[in-house]
Amino acid sequence: MTTTEKIKYATISASPVKSFFVSMLTRDITLEDTILDLLDNCVDGIIRSKKSDRDKPYKGYRAEIDFNADLFTISDNCGGIPWKMHNYAFRMGKPTNTPVDAAGTVGVYGIGMKRAIFKIGKYCLITTQNGPDRYEIEIATPWFTDEKDWNLTPKYTRKPSTEDGTTIVIGALNDGIKEQFDKDRDKFTGELIDIISTNYAYIINKGFQVKINGQTVKPRDTKLIFDINPLGDKAPAIQPYIFKTKTDDGVEVFLAVGFTRPIPTQSEIESEQEQKRFSSEDAGWTIICNDRTVVFCDRTELTGWGDAGIPRFHTQFIAISGIVEFKSDDASKLPTTTTKRGINANLPIYAQIKNKMREGMRQFTDYTNKWKGKADEVKKQMQDGNLLSLNEIKEFSQKVDFNRTIRSFPAGEQYKPTLPMPKKIEPTKRRITFVKDLSEINRIAEYLDTPYSDPSEIGVKCFDIVLEEAKQE
Amino acid sequence: MKHPPYFLRFNKSADRFAMIEAIRHLSKLGCNFEDYTYHSLGGPFLEDFRLMYEYFPEMRFISIEADADTIKRQKFHKPCKKVVLTHTDMKSFINQYEPRDKKSIFWLDYTGLELSHFEEFKSLLEKIATGSMIKITVSADVRDYAKGNEQEKQKFADEFRAKFRKLLPNPVAPIPWKKDEFAYLVQHMLKIAAEQSLPAASSPVVFQPVSSFYYSDGTCMLTLTGIVWNRDDVKSIFTAYRHWEFVNTTWSMPCLIEIPVLTNKERLKLQPLLPCAHQKGQTLLTKLGYLVDNNNSNSSIALEQYALFHRYSPYFMQGFP
Repeated sequence: MTTTEKIKYATISASPVKSFFVSMLTRDITLEDTILDLLDNCVDGIIRSKKSDRDKPYKGYRAEIDFNADLFTISDNCGGIPWKMHNYAFRMGKPTNTPVDAAGTVGVYGIGMKRAIFKIGKYCLITTQNGPDRYEIEIATPWFTDEKDWNLTPKYTRKPSTEDGTTIVIGALNDGIKEQFDKDRDKFTGELIDIISTNYAYIINKGFQVKINGQTVKPRDTKLIFDINPLGDKAPAIQPYIFKTKTDDGVEVFLAVGFTRPIPTQSEIESEQEQKRFSSEDAGWTIICNDRTVVFCDRTELTGWGDAGIPRFHTQFIAISGIVEFKSDDASKLPTTTTKRGINANLPIYAQIKNKMREGMRQFTDYTNKWKGKADEVKKQMQDGNLLSLNEIKEFSQKVDFNRTIRSFPAGEQYKPTLPMPKKIEPTKRRITFVKDLSEINRIAEYLDTPYSDPSEIGVKCFDIVLEEAKQE
Repeated sequence: MKHPPYFLRFNKSADRFAMIEAIRHLSKLGCNFEDYTYHSLGGPFLEDFRLMYEYFPEMRFISIEADADTIKRQKFHKPCKKVVLTHTDMKSFINQYEPRDKKSIFWLDYTGLELSHFEEFKSLLEKIATGSMIKITVSADVRDYAKGNEQEKQKFADEFRAKFRKLLPNPVAPIPWKKDEFAYLVQHMLKIAAEQSLPAASSPVVFQPVSSFYYSDGTCMLTLTGIVWNRDDVKSIFTAYRHWEFVNTTWSMPCLIEIPVLTNKERLKLQPLLPCAHQKGQTLLTKLGYLVDNNNSNSSIALEQYALFHRYSPYFMQGFP
């Protein structure tokens, strides 16, 4: 190689450029998800503190989020960032020599907090206290574009706080973010509360408190009907299908699927399709990984709908919901995506559990199909059931008899309920369905003096009147 | 089809006059009324078209009606030749509506509170021309539910939250049972719907409210009027409407219309005192010299309402056979 060639083919710098982190990495994540990442850090802080009790491990801990046209602030009392974790907390990515984190935390990639800051603005002040560790880090606006400056300078904070925790203040808000925090504040606040109320439902139920602009977020969790007092051991009753297992690499799985409400009547199905009442939005599968909801009310092939013999989701199935909980001390074993707000469906553990999700779901789609058109009878069957949350199902399931599943993989224990099935008798009733002009239906409704009635009720009334006349012939 | 006597509803009549005033202020924004087309669900009597033609004869008028029989009745009540009667529902009309740059005034005058009403409002916002005005009226009535037991209230609240989750400022918060607070919540939901249609980050125009009222002629209704305007220039709207006593450009609490029933004789007696700046209710009560409600305080409040809306209060004439 000549000298000219040596100069021409000199060493190439493959070091990252700042804009990759500041501008590119933030494109694949929504603002809402970055805020959830910050909340995840709060929860990881609680887990690290190891002060928690079993039933309400997050009790006494809180995170408060406030935003306006100028600033975004998240402040918590969740233990702060220990100085020994500073490399993990503040470097872009997780260094290999990072101390092993507490069991049950979800941080894996070492990017959540940084990505959230970059997504939101171009100035940041992080103040944290973890026992004797008390420091603050300011990231000034020029740092976000200075390619040479990759250092952050912590400052010791003299004045201790009453509680260990972290406060992150982000300023110089990015274009598009400022508008969401200011002009569209009501819309964004509502959306954020909605997302947190579902994604953090299980954590909030276990004692964690989240406030958004002063409003406390209440959990919105899935509850399944569980008839806890069936007439006999094997007597038919509305109960969920339950499966539980612990895999060889230590992932605990608990799965329950069942009914959240009676199956819909024909007119409800039609009205849901025509007027979109959002009842469907509460149906489907919810997947929880280490207490965080990563998938909420999914009704696609991702969770087994329209797959391997299970019908596609349809309005008639709005009563069916399922919950799967994955728990692992090692977050990398969980089937989540890098954003922690989705499922990596290719992982073997998820594919295996999906088989059990379908198996459970099949019982309830069959039941729905068999009882179709008999909504009144179904209502009676369900009225004795209690609506139980995941934790309550777990607790109550200790009293029911599980069977070992030997042939399926992963091996585990399952409880298959005996759902009531209609008797096979010759039908004495037939359904009458017909379509008429709305103006004509309204005219008859007025004639019968029943304005605003359900069209099916008007049809029934017309039938009854003619039947009475026929009887008198 | 049976219709209530919309044209004899006292508070709704005042609300119609308030709309006229809101439209009148558009001229302060440099808008010409001849550029506008007024669209509304006029009902069988086309009362709003009658008023609109009286005040803004230069506008074009389109009535939207889904019921064929009602259209026959509308033909009978047409206040002028200019009103075009279209046989369609609001959703289909908005789907086919192609304003290009032509300005419109829409009154989405609904009687209930359905998700579809918000969706039609949102669809309209996405296509209506800048400088257009939208007035939307929806039911904001919780009285029947508020009277129920805790279980019934809970059921209503759960269903309401499930149905309107995407529009609620806090989708997991309790539902307010007081009529003013519930009306305010419904107004908040309209604000969120407008923000969803015209997000600040991507839309150069905004739905800027100019007035909002709630009233009851049997059922509590909320009515909100706003202008689709350039986001950078909303200050012109504040300036144009600043002297109007019913202006609400800040999405604050809607104003109550609850005009007391007074005879024409009583109204004529009070007329010389109006408008009055201070202690309106008490001043009018003193002038009348007797109570018009069950006690002094309520009578004073009722007459204060009259003082506030006396210019908008209709005269319904009574005839004897």
